[in-house]
Amino acid sequence: MLPSGLPEQIDNDEDVARFLVYGRQFSSTSVKPAAFLPNPKDGETSVSRHGREPADQLWQLGREAAGNRTLHGAAIIKAATVREATLELVADEPPERHAVIRGWPLLEADQELQQAKQKELAVFLAAAAGPPVQRSLG
Amino acid sequence: MASGVSKEAGVIVQMAERFKQDVERSQALFGDKTATISSLNELACECAEADWDGYGAQGMDPAAVTVAERLIRALPMDIPMPECAPEPDGSISLDWWESRYRIVSVSVSPSARLAFAWLDGTDRGHAVARFDGSAVPERLLQEIRRIMPNASLRAA
Repeated sequence: MLPSGLPEQIDNDEDVARFLVYGRQFSSTSVKPAAFLPNPKDGETSVSRHGREPADQLWQLGREAAGNRTLHGAAIIKAATVREATLELVADEPPERHAVIRGWPLLEADQELQQAKQKELAVFLAAAAGPPVQRSLG
Repeated sequence: MASGVSKEAGVIVQMAERFKQDVERSQALFGDKTATISSLNELACECAEADWDGYGAQGMDPAAVTVAERLIRALPMDIPMPECAPEPDGSISLDWWESRYRIVSVSVSPSARLAFAWLDGTDRGHAVARFDGSAVPERLLQEIRRIMPNASLRAA
């Protein structure tokens, strides 16, 4: 059991949230594929193990992830979707509920082909996410 | 009954009307490109510094912005304008959305090679194509036109 009380293994039915802190990462109807691409430094995409509800807890996690940036919303996908994209999803606490998507294609000899392969998977995740959960900034 | 307008004058009126329509269409299309390039430049400013996404992204690469602007300028008139988004490695994403499950997305980096991927229902794929700075790769245009079949109608 992890410090958060969640099991180490992420179940396929679990939701994970990718927080959106930049307005051009999404529209009212969709999340851009780029929002799911991995950080080039570690090759991982950070997510939090949480779904749409309870919203208070979702936004609390989001505020902690966003730091001093404006938290606009979150893209929510099922763990099974990540695995269907042939990517790995593993728990990575602390912080609590943190997890990472890893296993993105790496091709050091051909950066553009690497980008294309990663983009294909990011497009798949973006389509699965559908409209983002938007946070009221009022 | 006589119309009071000669045949020649009628032809000139028709030509003027056609010219006006062509100019209006050009302005509409050129205006779209101008707006997209303006949006791209705003994005470049907003994401110039690292960690713009809160997850450690690299700052937008000015050379990638230049390539993206050239690509937008080179888009044929029948292709709708894409949406621009930043990528964590400093590249720029140009996205065409027909629907949730019909997407084409291009990654533009400082390189002369464009990385792109598409989703068409349950079918998906990716490719790389060389961009010479003036003509959009035919392979990419094929995918955009396939995913966005109504693009020509919208541009007309």
